[in-house]
Amino acid sequence: MEARSREILYNEGVAPGYFRLGLRWKGAGIRPGHFVMVRVSDGLDPLLRRPLGVYRVGHGTVELLYAVVGKGTEILSKKMPGESVDLLGPLGNGFTLPAKGHRAVLVAGGMGIVPLYMLAKKVKKSVLLFGARSAKEASVADDFKGLGINIKIATNDGSVGKKGLVTDLLQDEIRPGDIIYACGPVGMLKKIATIAAHAGVSCQVSLERSMACGIGVCLGCAVKASSHKEASNRNYRMVCSEGPVFDSEDIDWERL
Amino acid sequence: MGKAIVVKKKAGTAKAGIKKASGALSVEVAGIKFKNPVLTASGTFGYGIEFAPYTDLNLLGGIVVKGLSLRPREGNPGPRIVETPCGMLNAIGLQNVGVDAFIKEKLPLLKKYKTRVIANIFGETIEDYAEVASRLEDAGGVDAIEVNISCPNVKKGGIVFGTDPKEAFKVISKVRSSTGLPVITKLSPNVTDIKVMVRAVEDAGTDAISLINTLTGMVVDVEKRRPVLATATGGLSGPAIRPVAVRMVWQAASVAKTPIIGMGGIMTAKDALEFIIAGASAVQVGTANFVDPDAAAKIVSGIEDYVKRHSTTVRELIGSLKM
Repeated sequence: MEARSREILYNEGVAPGYFRLGLRWKGAGIRPGHFVMVRVSDGLDPLLRRPLGVYRVGHGTVELLYAVVGKGTEILSKKMPGESVDLLGPLGNGFTLPAKGHRAVLVAGGMGIVPLYMLAKKVKKSVLLFGARSAKEASVADDFKGLGINIKIATNDGSVGKKGLVTDLLQDEIRPGDIIYACGPVGMLKKIATIAAHAGVSCQVSLERSMACGIGVCLGCAVKASSHKEASNRNYRMVCSEGPVFDSEDIDWERL
Repeated sequence: MGKAIVVKKKAGTAKAGIKKASGALSVEVAGIKFKNPVLTASGTFGYGIEFAPYTDLNLLGGIVVKGLSLRPREGNPGPRIVETPCGMLNAIGLQNVGVDAFIKEKLPLLKKYKTRVIANIFGETIEDYAEVASRLEDAGGVDAIEVNISCPNVKKGGIVFGTDPKEAFKVISKVRSSTGLPVITKLSPNVTDIKVMVRAVEDAGTDAISLINTLTGMVVDVEKRRPVLATATGGLSGPAIRPVAVRMVWQAASVAKTPIIGMGGIMTAKDALEFIIAGASAVQVGTANFVDPDAAAKIVSGIEDYVKRHSTTVRELIGSLKM
C-alpha cells in the first residue's frame, strides 16, 4: 500500500454527472468493497483526498465510477487521458461473500452501485435492485448485464422499471436465507436495515463519510455503533479503517 | 530515557534513516537531540505505527503521538470534520485509547523505530495531567511529554487551561514536578497576546514551547441552516492558517527563553523553513500527513537540500530572520 501516481486511460461522462475513470493499474489486492483516496490536484484547494469506491478491475485497468458532487470531483472530471492522479489504496475492508446456499440481494441507490459491481461478479444466482432518479441514471446498471445477475430497477419518475423506491423492490424480493448487500444514501440504508431486521436476514452496508486520511488516523469518519455490541468506551467505528462495510446491526441508525 | 541511549549507540551503524542525521540537520530542543527538526504533529499521525506502511518512520526527527488521557475517550459524535479552503476543521473530541493502552499496546511497537517519541497528554483536571505524565515516564521509551493545554478544566467549570495564563502556569508546574522527562507546552493561538502565555509556561518550568494548535472555526450548512460539525465549532488546520502560525511563532520566539517548535499548515520544506527562520528550533507537520502520508519524510529531504544549497545548518537558520 502506498500513495502512487496512476496514469489515466479514460475519463468519460456516462449518465448525467457520472464519470468513468480508467487507470493503468493492475489493482492487485483489490476486493469488492474496497476504496481509494484520490488526490485531485497538487494544489492546496481542495486540500484533502477524495474517497472513491473501486468499480471494476480487469486487463491492467482499474475503473472508478464517480459522481461530480463538488469542487474536488469537478476537477477530477476535467482530467484527460495521459494525465495522472495520485492514489492511496486499496483501503478499507470489503464485503464478506455469502456462504453457500445463500442468495445475495444487492441493493444500490444512485452512486451506491459502485462497490457492488465487483461483488456481483463474485456471487452466483443473485439479484441487483437498483434505485435511480431516471432512466438515464438507471442505464449504469447495463454494465451488470452479462454477469448472470437478475436486475430490477426502480426510478423516481417511473421512466424505467418500477415507479418508486428501491426499498419497495426489496420488500417484495426478500426471503429467508438471503443476504443483503447495500450501498446508497443514509435514508435508504436505514430503511434497508429495518427491512433486514424484520425479515431476519443478514445485511452488510457500505457507508460513506467525510474523511481526511482514509487510513484510520484522523478519526474524522466516526459513526455511532449500536449499543448492544460494544463496551461504553468503544462507541464509535471508523468508516475508513473498520468499514466501509459494516453489518447493519452494528450501526446506530438513529444517530448516524 | 533508555531511548536516547539506543539512538546514540546505533547512530554509527544504522540504516539510511540515521545516516541522514548529518550534523547539518540536527537540532536540540528541551535537552533532547533530534537528528532533524521535522516531527509529526499530535492528532495527525495516530500512534505512529499506522504510517509504517506508507513512509519510513526512521527518517523522522520525531513522532508526537495522538493526545493521551488517563482513561480512554470515545470522542465526539459526527460529523467531526469538514474541509475548508486550503484547510479543514476538526472536532474529534480527543478520542484516544488512554495512557495505559498506549503504553501496553502501541509504545512497544513504536520504540522499535529510530526516531524520538513524544507523548502528547491532556486532562480534565490538573491531577489527571500529572498522573498521565508520571505513568509515561515509568513506562520508559518516551523521550518527552507535550502538554496540550487547549482543553477545559472541568473542575474549574470548564475554563480552558490554555487561554488563562494562571491556569496554564498551574498545570505546567504540576506536570513539571511530576515527571523527570522534558516538558513541551503546546500553546493555543486563540489568545490575545501569545507572549503572556509564553512567559506563564516558562515561569512554570516548561523546557520548550510548541505552537500553534488549531484556530477555532465554524462552517454553516446554508441549506439546513445548521453548523456542519456536530459540535458546531472545531479547530482549523492546514495551509490556510500558516501565516498566522508563522507570525505567532515569531512573536513567541521574540520573548521566549526556551526553544520553540513551530507548526501550522506546513506542507513543504519551504513552509517548514519559514518557521525555522522566524525562530523555531524544530517544526511539526500535521494536516499534510493526511494528504500525503510521506509528507514529513519529504520535508526532511527538502530541508537537507536547502541547507546544502546554502552551505549552512538548520541550527544556523533558527531565528535568522533579517528585519
